[in-house]
Amino acid sequence: MRTSLKIAAVTFGAAALLPLSMSSAFAADGNANANLAPIALNGVNGSGTAMVQVKGTTISVTMAASGLLAGSPHAAHIHFGADARHECPAAADDTNKDGHLNTTEGGPAYGPVVVSLTKTGDTTPASVLAIDRFDTAAGGKIAYQRGSIMVAPEVAQAIVDGKAVVVIHGVDYNNNGKYDGTVMSDLDPKLPTEATDPALCGVLSASPVGAMATGAGGAAGSDSTPVYLFAGGALLLAAAGTGAFAVRRSHAKV
Amino acid sequence: MFATRTRGGRRGILAAAAVALALVGVLLVVLGLRGHAGPPQPAPQRAAISAPLSAAAPTSDPTPSPAATSEPTAPTVDLGTILPASVPVTLDIPIIGVHSTMLVPLNVGADGVLAAPTDFASPGWYEGGPTPGQLGPAIIAGHVDGPTGPAIFYRLGQLTPGAQVTITRQDSSVATFTIDTVASYAKSEFPTDLVYGNTTNRAELRLITCGGAFDHKTGHYVDNIIAFGHLST
Repeated sequence: MRTSLKIAAVTFGAAALLPLSMSSAFAADGNANANLAPIALNGVNGSGTAMVQVKGTTISVTMAASGLLAGSPHAAHIHFGADARHECPAAADDTNKDGHLNTTEGGPAYGPVVVSLTKTGDTTPASVLAIDRFDTAAGGKIAYQRGSIMVAPEVAQAIVDGKAVVVIHGVDYNNNGKYDGTVMSDLDPKLPTEATDPALCGVLSASPVGAMATGAGGAAGSDSTPVYLFAGGALLLAAAGTGAFAVRRSHAKV
Repeated sequence: MFATRTRGGRRGILAAAAVALALVGVLLVVLGLRGHAGPPQPAPQRAAISAPLSAAAPTSDPTPSPAATSEPTAPTVDLGTILPASVPVTLDIPIIGVHSTMLVPLNVGADGVLAAPTDFASPGWYEGGPTPGQLGPAIIAGHVDGPTGPAIFYRLGQLTPGAQVTITRQDSSVATFTIDTVASYAKSEFPTDLVYGNTTNRAELRLITCGGAFDHKTGHYVDNIIAFGHLST
């Protein structure tokens, strides 16, 4: 009984300590920002920012982008692959040499989808092409905000480590205001490649932390004020003493 | 006669000495009382209790749980006016006499800390963050002073809520920000999330410089002064 109680206490103590040590060893708390820029070769004249706040294995995402095909669904994801380059694809990634980068060609740069940035419902890679739940970019703009997205610990860590990449898909190569064309998507043969080719991309990088060193002290407030006061006071006392002595001398003489 | 004259001369010297001592003494006391104030300072702020932004952080989950896949309506997201990406080229803060036509790009070091501009006369902008007018906190930092005197953000601590900050961008657009809060934070309690974090749902601005006492041992000020603003036009 005694022994089992003792064991229980030790176990409980260890369990109580565990979350603390876990949080210091594996916590992925922090903020990250991605500056979204046009994907090479795909001709989108757009931009945006995506901010991700990471708390443990829960993330919240706020994203704004513009310059996209208006009124059409734009799939958006966070990509990460341990063996990816953790960057946005370059023209050299156009392995089929068709003059555009499709989603698969971007894989070596940004890795597979780890989070689907849907407006509602599931956010796992299963929703990678849940076209009816992505933003349709009214006026060519996306305004997106979503919290409480659960991710795997390695994904949370990748985000704060600057290894995850945000990609918004959907390009209108022929500028006719809709997704069409004879080339079909590498992701879904029922969709034109315009609907799934990457448009904007940005690597999530950890936001700055801590204070800034923005001064050299050349105009700092004087810290010698007490010295002035002390010296001044001493001189005033001396003056009073000298004056009194002079007056006494003159009185003594007369 | 001779002695009297000597005594009289001595008395005069003593009186003159007393007057001189008194004058220098008064001067030093006045100097001491006035001191040398240094850069203007805003009210100090405890990082833990401060919540200077009028727009609350999006702490609550605005979306249904993943289980509610059948729920088709997503909440409307209003991020206000958001400008496309374009780097800042001029910075004007008329009320504190800041006019800069030279902004330098800033980046974080290996320690994650944002490095200050090397030029004391030029403010810098964090190029890893949003450009001014994009969603999120655009960061502009400048020195309060250099080794020999005031620098570009010497008077940042004088900014008050409502002050206007105008930034011309490379695409010729002008982003005007309105200051919401100006506060001083001990560097040891720097509010990282509040300044750099994903705590905004609009285009915002952070102006950063140094404040507080200057620590001669470390060669650094002990506080950071931060002005928080939002895009108003």
